Amino acid sequence: MNTAQSLSVEEGVVEVHDIGLVFESGNTSVQALERVSLNVQSGEFVSLIGPSGCGKSSLLGILAGFVKPSSGKATLNGVRIEKPGPERGVVFQQYSLLPWLSVRQNVEFGLRMSHTPKSERERVARGLLSLAGLSAFENHYPDQLSGGMKQRIGIVRALATNPRVLLMDEPFGALDTQTRSVMQEILTDMWQKFRISVFFITHDIEESIFLSDRVYVMTARPGRIKAEIKVPLPRPRTAAMTSSPEFIELVQLLKRLIRDESLAAMSSELTAPK
Amino acid sequence: MTDRAAYLRTLIVTRLDESMPGTVASIPPSSSRVPMRALVELVRAKGTSWLLGLTSLGGLLAFWYLGTKYQLEFFIRFTNVPTPAAVLKQALAVGASTQFLVDIGNSLRRILLGFGVATALGVSVGLLIGKYQTVRDLLMPALEVLRPIPAIAWVPMSIMLWPDNEVSIVFITFIGAVFPILLNTVDGVARVDRVLLNAGRSLGASEVQLFWHIILPGVMPNVFTGLAVGMGVAWVSLIAAEMISGQFGVGYFTWEAYSLVNYPAIVLGMLTIGVLGLLCSGAIRLIGRFAMPWLAYVNGGQK
Repeated sequence: MNTAQSLSVEEGVVEVHDIGLVFESGNTSVQALERVSLNVQSGEFVSLIGPSGCGKSSLLGILAGFVKPSSGKATLNGVRIEKPGPERGVVFQQYSLLPWLSVRQNVEFGLRMSHTPKSERERVARGLLSLAGLSAFENHYPDQLSGGMKQRIGIVRALATNPRVLLMDEPFGALDTQTRSVMQEILTDMWQKFRISVFFITHDIEESIFLSDRVYVMTARPGRIKAEIKVPLPRPRTAAMTSSPEFIELVQLLKRLIRDESLAAMSSELTAPK
Repeated sequence: MTDRAAYLRTLIVTRLDESMPGTVASIPPSSSRVPMRALVELVRAKGTSWLLGLTSLGGLLAFWYLGTKYQLEFFIRFTNVPTPAAVLKQALAVGASTQFLVDIGNSLRRILLGFGVATALGVSVGLLIGKYQTVRDLLMPALEVLRPIPAIAWVPMSIMLWPDNEVSIVFITFIGAVFPILLNTVDGVARVDRVLLNAGRSLGASEVQLFWHIILPGVMPNVFTGLAVGMGVAWVSLIAAEMISGQFGVGYFTWEAYSLVNYPAIVLGMLTIGVLGLLCSGAIRLIGRFAMPWLAYVNGGQK
């Protein structure tokens, strides 16, 4: 708890205004995102859920600064996002730890890039790793660890630069169901300690409800915001809540919303000209 | 609610902790304290592979021995081939003279020089080509034309280009080694995972930092592949150059033996080349293992 407080998470407000994204390839163009507007308030956990291929990862790419939107703008604390930066921590869907660095060196990477003194880097990395229960593995190489551990280290690494917001792109998508639910509990516990703004992408309905304060539902291509749902479940969240009637009601609600979109996505695939 | 819990309990057919209380405790303690056991384990794990390796080498020797003993003539002719015993005798005779060691020393020096320059130039130019499209467009066409020319075809040109024999032999060794090293490095840059680059950028790395901290370590496995291949080609090129224009060196030794009709020395030269090449490749592999300890764990494999 002390470590978390000494890290002093700073305010982070993300705003997305009317973003459109068109992919051009040859003489065909695909509208990936259309007039997407959403926001993440400071200290809020917000999920974006939608069928696969709806452009949700592209939206995260825009917020991370990897992708330029065709129209509209995204801002962090009012400043337009134009390129990647350490004030926005990114947790990737694929494992993205540097295989030649130890776990601790991976966590220190961002601070090393900003020329933070070695002792300070080690202090921050050790503190975060112990918070995530990974101290015993600080000298291991990433390839010695399980997928769940790699993703935990990915989260810790993103937190090490003290970002204003955490952008998470289906971080548990590659994990098995059991590991996944454990990871969700670990993440919600960590969030409880840091209270950092999080923008979380997933296609898992239960996951989005369990973790979030609000959930945005995205339509099939072109991706638009179909609905925005508040999750009034109390904090801190526990695994037991997933069987409460309120939780199940929310799942039903989201399932209906997503189902229409998944059907739409499939039918457009079936009728799409080759 | 208690009814419900009772009902759920009836659904559980077996449960380790309730129905089989003795299971966990009854696992016998491991007897790893006996040192002999470790040896037996090692032989059991590696035994087959050692045995096959021995069979491979023994088979080669047996083929050579039997072929020379019975003067085999079946497509290939063993009539003039010296026996293993004759070669061993030659080795003992030559091994005592310093001249043979001078030959080996000369070859090794040429390899180190040619291969060293090829490594420095191949890796640095390869990185530049891989990183910058302009450099690629500028250099690749010329390199693509030069690449298919075998190092041995450079011998006459090399003699014209360089002031003395020694430098031209080193140059030919360099030519042989540089292309595999360069092209593997170029390929390595292209193979660096985009996700790692994006991760680096989002952690605040500048383009220069990306190069030093992600691209450079990322291409290392490819560079070492290039070095291993380059070392093989360097030996091929060196021996050819020594045979044609050399003075001293293992290639020169072997060719001279042919001129002097000293057949056992030919085989001795060949075997020496084989062993030296093997040692050099082994050294590269060893350095690679030290430089990239993390590779032992990639793809979940303890190699």
